Amino acid sequence: MATTATVTLTSDISSGFGGITKTMTLTKAGTSNDITETTGFSRRKLAATAAVDLITMANELVEPNDNTAAKVYIKNIGNNGTIDKSQYVTISIGDTGGTTQEIGRLYGGDWLMMPVTVVDDMDVVAAPSTNDAVVLEYTMFFEEA
Amino acid sequence: MATTTAAVTLTSDLLSDNISVTTDTTCMKGGTTADGLDQMDMGYIEIATGTNFDLLDADNALNKDKANKVYISNDSTDETYYVIITIDATVVGRLYAGDWMFIPWGAEDATADIEIQAYTGTNKISYAYFHEGRTLTSA
Repeated sequence: MATTATVTLTSDISSGFGGITKTMTLTKAGTSNDITETTGFSRRKLAATAAVDLITMANELVEPNDNTAAKVYIKNIGNNGTIDKSQYVTISIGDTGGTTQEIGRLYGGDWLMMPVTVVDDMDVVAAPSTNDAVVLEYTMFFEEA
Repeated sequence: MATTTAAVTLTSDLLSDNISVTTDTTCMKGGTTADGLDQMDMGYIEIATGTNFDLLDADNALNKDKANKVYISNDSTDETYYVIITIDATVVGRLYAGDWMFIPWGAEDATADIEIQAYTGTNKISYAYFHEGRTLTSA
């Protein structure tokens, strides 16, 4: 039951950059055993600038094991097949009712893959830059507590 | 225009209907459709345990609130080795040996550094930072 992610980066910024390709197999923390839980693949349409919890750690039906090897994938797919590179969604970690720490801006078409702690109130938070509709696709892989 | 692309293929058989995602993006400067990120830094470092280090310093007005992208890979081979990635004292998560991450980095203020601390042993870290420029320090 394997989950793998391969990144390929190419760039002509520097003549000395030969590109990066790296594959990781998502495993449980500190082991070579495959990770076993996922939220499944989801999509959510946002149409207001208000910050929302994209993934609320305390609400997962399978309780995640805190501070292990969880990963989140998110992509800004625009809306109705139109990707607007001038619009973005700010992705943060924290609690919409409290404090959040910005990760960065996902412009139209951009994606991210990052580790998360899955600690309660360290949610994945999304805040669009405008009231125009934008759709995020996302999934999380984690360990059961 | 400089062209930087980031592609990912994600597959999983955890569900009865497998997940299979393949996508890519061209990394543009913030808010533009015709001008790509045109500067980059990259490196490889070995990080000993015991200290939280700044991997990337956000004290950089040129890159505040842009479309910067950061790639970090833990090239260690011992599966018990890991690093904790932190931004401005908020723990993002753990990168175990063999793991990588790719994120946009807001660098929204001078304290929003990307920090890294190694655990279990000396971790081997590769990183690349694609951006619009940074403030150079006078000699």
